[in-house]
Amino acid sequence: MECLLAINDLHVGFRIFEGHLRVLNAVWLDVKEGERVGLVGETGCGKTTTVKSVLRVLPMPPARITGGQILYNGKDILKMTQRQMSMLRRHELTAIFQDPLQSLNPVFTIGTQLRDIVRDSAIGRGHRLTHREVESRCLEALRVTGMPDPERIMTNYPAQLSGGMRQRVCIAEALSTNARLMLADEPTTNLDVTIQDQILRKLDELVEEQGVSVVMITHSMGVVRDLTQRVNIMYAGTIIESGETRDLLESPQHPYTQGLMASVPKLTGEGISEGIPGRIPNYLDPPSGCRFHPRCERQMEICATSMPSLYTTAEGHRVACYLYGGTL
Amino acid sequence: MRWEERREDLKATLSQRRRGLSRGWYKFSRNPLSVIGLVVLGLIVLAAIFAPYITPYPEHAKPYTNFRNASRPPSAAHWFGTDRVGRDIFSRVVFGYRFSLTIGAVVLSLGVAPGVILGLIAGYHQGTWIETVIMRITDVFLAVPPLVLALAITAMLTPNLVNQMMAIALVWWPWYARLVFALASSLRSEYFVREAELTGAGKLHIMFKEILPNCFAPVMTKMTLDMGIVILLGATLSFIGLGVQPPKPGLGTMVAEGAKRLPGEWWGTIFPALAIVAVILAFNLVGDGLRDVFSVEEV
Amino acid sequence: MSKLPILTVDRLVKHFPTKAGLVRAVDDITFDVSTGDTLGLVGESGSGKTTTAQCVLGIYPPTSGRIVFEGAPIGVMFNRRNRELKRKIRIVFQDPGSSLNPKRTIKQILSVPLKVHGIGLKRERLTMMSRLLEMVELPATEYLYKYPQAIGGGEKQMVAIARALATNPRFIVLDEPTSALDVSVQGKIINLLMRLARELDLTYLFITHDLSLMRNVATQVAIMYLGKLCEIARTQEFFRTPLHPYTKMLLSSIPVVTDEEESLKPAKIVSKGEIPSPVNVPSGCSFHLRCPERMPICLESDPEMRVLDTGHLIRCHLYSP
Repeated sequence: MECLLAINDLHVGFRIFEGHLRVLNAVWLDVKEGERVGLVGETGCGKTTTVKSVLRVLPMPPARITGGQILYNGKDILKMTQRQMSMLRRHELTAIFQDPLQSLNPVFTIGTQLRDIVRDSAIGRGHRLTHREVESRCLEALRVTGMPDPERIMTNYPAQLSGGMRQRVCIAEALSTNARLMLADEPTTNLDVTIQDQILRKLDELVEEQGVSVVMITHSMGVVRDLTQRVNIMYAGTIIESGETRDLLESPQHPYTQGLMASVPKLTGEGISEGIPGRIPNYLDPPSGCRFHPRCERQMEICATSMPSLYTTAEGHRVACYLYGGTL
Repeated sequence: MRWEERREDLKATLSQRRRGLSRGWYKFSRNPLSVIGLVVLGLIVLAAIFAPYITPYPEHAKPYTNFRNASRPPSAAHWFGTDRVGRDIFSRVVFGYRFSLTIGAVVLSLGVAPGVILGLIAGYHQGTWIETVIMRITDVFLAVPPLVLALAITAMLTPNLVNQMMAIALVWWPWYARLVFALASSLRSEYFVREAELTGAGKLHIMFKEILPNCFAPVMTKMTLDMGIVILLGATLSFIGLGVQPPKPGLGTMVAEGAKRLPGEWWGTIFPALAIVAVILAFNLVGDGLRDVFSVEEV
Repeated sequence: MSKLPILTVDRLVKHFPTKAGLVRAVDDITFDVSTGDTLGLVGESGSGKTTTAQCVLGIYPPTSGRIVFEGAPIGVMFNRRNRELKRKIRIVFQDPGSSLNPKRTIKQILSVPLKVHGIGLKRERLTMMSRLLEMVELPATEYLYKYPQAIGGGEKQMVAIARALATNPRFIVLDEPTSALDVSVQGKIINLLMRLARELDLTYLFITHDLSLMRNVATQVAIMYLGKLCEIARTQEFFRTPLHPYTKMLLSSIPVVTDEEESLKPAKIVSKGEIPSPVNVPSGCSFHLRCPERMPICLESDPEMRVLDTGHLIRCHLYSP
């Protein structure tokens, strides 16, 4: 199956007064049609930078793409013109972000915003809709996300809704464009756990129905477990492990992933590990070779000298670690 | 050893301060205009301080007449020309800067401190009668246009430099009270203030050690930008005749004197006016640069 | 470990009159915390867990009810409490970014509680501050002179913990101390807190929404919903037999990472409905609108808290006689 999105060996840096921040370093990620893929990593690992690179909304100075390509349907996004990119964002790509208050305009009603999107999306595809058609599509989009009383919601302002409802509006907006690829950047992190559960389930249902491919970005392993088929683990701007979600979570291979899994508090009550010693590296002067090696208990000499590529292990994961290949 | 410890402590504290200053300078120097402003300002300040030594005709700043040399256009001997009683305008302008800068410095010293303190107290006691009283008084002062109030005060008292400065200071403090009030009342609900209260820290500690340091940056920036306006206000009062009195070389006074001779003897008005513009512009550029220094950048 | 409760909250009520209506943040709750215990207070938005802690700390005076600490009533605002009480009850806030004054160095931050409570002579304070930092495993000489922006989130929280410990407290309120931190840092902080509790005989009121965390940290768990307590039990008992339908809903909603954990979750109770606002508390049992096991009586009357033989406290008509 051809990949809908393929990020190949992406390198992104930022020029700031103190020097050059080498943030993204060898990011490999692919999403097939209809697939749901997770991107997991902690604060500062570069997940949001990756999303912004795909959407090409990184501020170009100070950001610089220093290598690699992002292929959408075989065409390199990084080489597209503004106009082509604009078309892509309008029809093919859609995104949900962590804070719905930032995505929704506080001075317009939900109705105004949603109608704009529905109308624009139809026009973009070449057909005009009547008022009634637009209205019914909006109401349908809201209803389908599990929103109670969509008519009333259309007249509300974002500030009048709860966090969960706002996020449902964002999902409705995202799905009304009939996009093929959705980038969801920590969509439920700020929500209460019972609401989070509802929303994630609903999102799962909807993307399944509409055949939308999803890149789910989160720091929560639990969220990817339920929602994704494959997952990629990111550390310090590098994809360090990738594989089928359930397999990867049951038997993580990379020392970082193992440390991460051990740190997650479990319902089984076996206590919490001491976490992973050390701090995430400074992107101005990242560690040579494998970026995780200073914090790794099993580091070897070679780890400090050169960066491992993603090797395929017996379990079918790809792991960027010399413990699993490359030292022969 | 006790001394060892104290010395280490002092060294560490100072090196932290030094690092902060050099980072600040770095941010400031990225703005070429601000650096130019700083240089010009530095020159003006130095010139004003050393006026008697660097001006070609320092005695012209005192009562002096030389009608044979009066009303001469700019030349090699007199860069800015001479006025109608024969005094060198260039030297007088440099001495004039002394008045302007003094006005600025004194007004801000007199006006800022009470304004900041009142704003701090009002902000911390937001919701109580203390806030109401302080802020309503502030509102009253703010309701009157600064120039009008300053005029009224100087007109009531004898017009001279000192009274002029006091008048402007009196209209200046409310702006700072309001600025700091807004900052303090929003800072009040920060976790670190709450924590200090729960620990049992007294009100004075919280106002001056927790809240005030967070107000420093906006107040400093405002002070720098205000200097220009204060100087202009002082020059305006002098221009009307209520500030620096002739024969003293106040810049505003000189503009007024020279204005009677426009457009023929333009040098009498234009140069003092340009001098005013230069110092205000310099302060503004430095103020802009300071704003950048204090802004926190996100990557 | 002494079984005498160090903190007793008795029929605590805290209402806030607002323009939108009366916010019933805390609506008649009663619980005990024994010395050396860690009580996990769990709930979602509007549950009243934060307001409860704020009443214990004295940020708000209770509308009614009593709070008793070490045998003495303390239900007044903090500015009317004596200094000794402020020394004994301390807090660690959720957001490390704003709980440390960005314009003060760590040395200045740590010196405040020492000065206020007159702990140690002036010349001993530097050593005391170094020792506090060592207790939280931070290198003292470097960190004393840093500003909060120069250190990471986890380290900021450790400074906040050191600040809480500065007065030799007996009781610390931990308000979601690790919610804003990455999971790899959380472990270190939680383990540190547990170790300190043992070494210094501290009692914790641990507020969180993360039940998986509570499973590993709390000795007793209390669930709150819309200002009322639903269920309280010792941790083992709580997770072995969760009783309240809301508890079961919470447990089902937790995103877990292993199959083993999945099997421990109660049968899929699909959460539905939004959390009502504390201004508009539903009649009868406030959970009835969302409860999958709702009975007619639930719409009419609010259940009373019952104590079961196992020491489990449950407030639900399903378990009322």
